[in-house]
Amino acid sequence: MNGHPTDETLILHFYRELPAAEAHAVATHLESCGACRAAWEELVATLTLVDAAHVPEPGPGFERVVWARVSESLPAPAWSWRSVVPIGALAAAALVVAVVTGSMRGAGPGPQPVSSDVTGVDANIRTQKRVLFTALDDHFHQTEVLLVELMNASAGDIDLGFEREAADELVASSRLYRATARDTGDDQFAQVLEDLEHMLIEVARSPLSIVPADFESLRQRIGDEDWLFKVRAAATEVRTRQQSLNVISEGPL
Amino acid sequence: MKQMQPDDAAVIAKARDGDHEAFRVLVDRHGRNIYRLAYRMTGKPEDAEDVVQDTFVRAFQRLDRFEARSNFATWLYRIGFNCAIDYMRSRQRRETPEPPATLEILAPTASGPSMDDLVYAGEIDRRVRAALQDLSEQERAAFLLRHYHGCSIEEICEALDLKTNAAKHSIFRAVRKMRTALGPLVGAPLERVES
Repeated sequence: MNGHPTDETLILHFYRELPAAEAHAVATHLESCGACRAAWEELVATLTLVDAAHVPEPGPGFERVVWARVSESLPAPAWSWRSVVPIGALAAAALVVAVVTGSMRGAGPGPQPVSSDVTGVDANIRTQKRVLFTALDDHFHQTEVLLVELMNASAGDIDLGFEREAADELVASSRLYRATARDTGDDQFAQVLEDLEHMLIEVARSPLSIVPADFESLRQRIGDEDWLFKVRAAATEVRTRQQSLNVISEGPL
Repeated sequence: MKQMQPDDAAVIAKARDGDHEAFRVLVDRHGRNIYRLAYRMTGKPEDAEDVVQDTFVRAFQRLDRFEARSNFATWLYRIGFNCAIDYMRSRQRRETPEPPATLEILAPTASGPSMDDLVYAGEIDRRVRAALQDLSEQERAAFLLRHYHGCSIEEICEALDLKTNAAKHSIFRAVRKMRTALGPLVGAPLERVES
């Protein structure tokens, strides 16, 4: 090496950007030159201080929040897991909507033939409700299974791949059922479905490998808000309403 | 620097086909690095979060332009840098300018700050932040990528579309400004023999 290394050379040396031979020459020079060694030590000390500058680390839910914000801005997917994974709930929901809306269209505009029974419930409406309640019974059952799985998962078992897909599917079908429930005047179920969707969305948007603290927080919420109880109560109410419809359908002798 | 993970390429291929779940994997993998870059560029956590969102939305829109032989993290840094610049310019238009970073605190004073009066770590933070704000956008980005994100000069050239000499000189200028800013805290003599 001819003469002293420049500041620039020392900076490149610090960042290991010098060719090996030059890096070796600089290192050798630093051992024998006090002035350059002092400059080198000052440079190292400065850049070490730069390392000490604090960057606030985002919280454990950072990825989930970012994804929620990013996903809102993305175009609709060309395809998704729904197109390749055999699904039951969503197809069933679509069928329910088709049956109910078809039944409504079949009623047609204008005055309808009077077919009300003694309770005042129209035969068409009864059919729609029966289809909806059957679907809801299954929907609440699947939701209950999902919640039980989440609540019983062990601390080390927090790959949420399956649960996320299941929750996503339940949200999609829930939206269809909710719209149908509004159409049939079953606002009580529509409201339960809407509330339930918020929780399911949280599960669906969890990271694939959720950190234990986040997972515990999710379970805590499910427990604190009594979701298992609410879902079971809703399922019981659906069955009660189904039985009531059947009684009406059979009618008085 | 965080290298492209072995299965990044496969995930990118799926995301290119519009698979949101695959893209989410990339967000999970690279989100925090982009946040750190964005925070150091903007200086505010809430702004950094906005920049992260903009970066990934823009990345998704441009995935078809990503060349498989490139490093995905480097490509993402480039987008993140541009988003941060756009964001800061837009912020300048929206807001009343804040008082400039106090350059007077950067200059060594005759007596030097009394360490008794300093919360040492806070002082380092303030000085590094002020020095970063005093850099040009190019200097700041090159320095951040080299110093904090471990990018090589070659990767910085790719990320910032710079020639090698321009990338090096951006880093040299940034380091000089850091030495001026942090000199009083280092306590070492700044004078030396220039060759």
